[in-house]
Amino acid sequence: MTDTFPIGTELDEFPLPVESSKVREFAIALLDDDPIYQDVGAARAAGFDDIPAPLTFAAASSHFRHDLLMFERLDMDLRRVLHGESSWEYLTPVTVGERLLARRRLADVAMRPGKRGGDMTLYTFETEFVNDRGDTVLRQRDVVIETGGAK
Amino acid sequence: MSATTTPMPIKPLALQKGDHGPQATIGPITRTDIVRYAGAGGDFNPIHHDEEFARAAGMPSVFSHGLLSAGLLAQHLARWVGLAHVRSFAVRFTGQVWPGDMLVLAGRVARVEESGGERLAHLELTVTRQTGDVAVKGKAVTVAR
Repeated sequence: MTDTFPIGTELDEFPLPVESSKVREFAIALLDDDPIYQDVGAARAAGFDDIPAPLTFAAASSHFRHDLLMFERLDMDLRRVLHGESSWEYLTPVTVGERLLARRRLADVAMRPGKRGGDMTLYTFETEFVNDRGDTVLRQRDVVIETGGAK
Repeated sequence: MSATTTPMPIKPLALQKGDHGPQATIGPITRTDIVRYAGAGGDFNPIHHDEEFARAAGMPSVFSHGLLSAGLLAQHLARWVGLAHVRSFAVRFTGQVWPGDMLVLAGRVARVEESGGERLAHLELTVTRQTGDVAVKGKAVTVAR
């Protein structure tokens, strides 16, 4: 539990370049070989301006952010950390060639009695992804649970 | 392996409350699938690829990333309703997915509402293991016609 970081604190920012080989790799890792994720011609024929980012592509920003550092700053014990929920709100389609900038803030911290005794702490993070023109294209929320245990 | 059989719809679908989306079965999930997602997604928590580490943490073996199952469900959703029509997608991780698991991806229309001159369908989605356990519960809002 953190007293140092009030709700709303901006935690970090990181880039998310949307590149064709990364989009292809990401779609294939999700066992999807639809050509719209690999071929600009197929993407255009399907009505997109360019190859679209898969719905959960923002997860690939793991390559550019420093979660371990963030957990440390928040004094979270990584051995007791679980991912509880994720959600995405899509405002504008994201396609290959864009370079997004993400800003992550602490949206909520809540305590709840854990199933196996001890309080668990629920951290809600909100990440806003903005394109080169300054438009917010995507909002992501994650709930991360720190299960109860002696500190 | 691929579940891509038909191209994704270009125009919004005519969805009604109670409609069921297509079902897809994926698997068996392999350690290679898990490692490939680690590389693509950038999550190198050793509990997902290092057998000794996973056992030391009290797990029977490595297990899949929640965001791999969520991503499989998202791709399934995009194939069903069309990627461009999805307004939001949310998942709750309710159980782990293990190597060897067969996953069934499914969805249905919970309700449809008119909002600002458009029809929005609220979908409920699941990733279910061969045991019947639900590993991911999902919700999505998509434009319908």
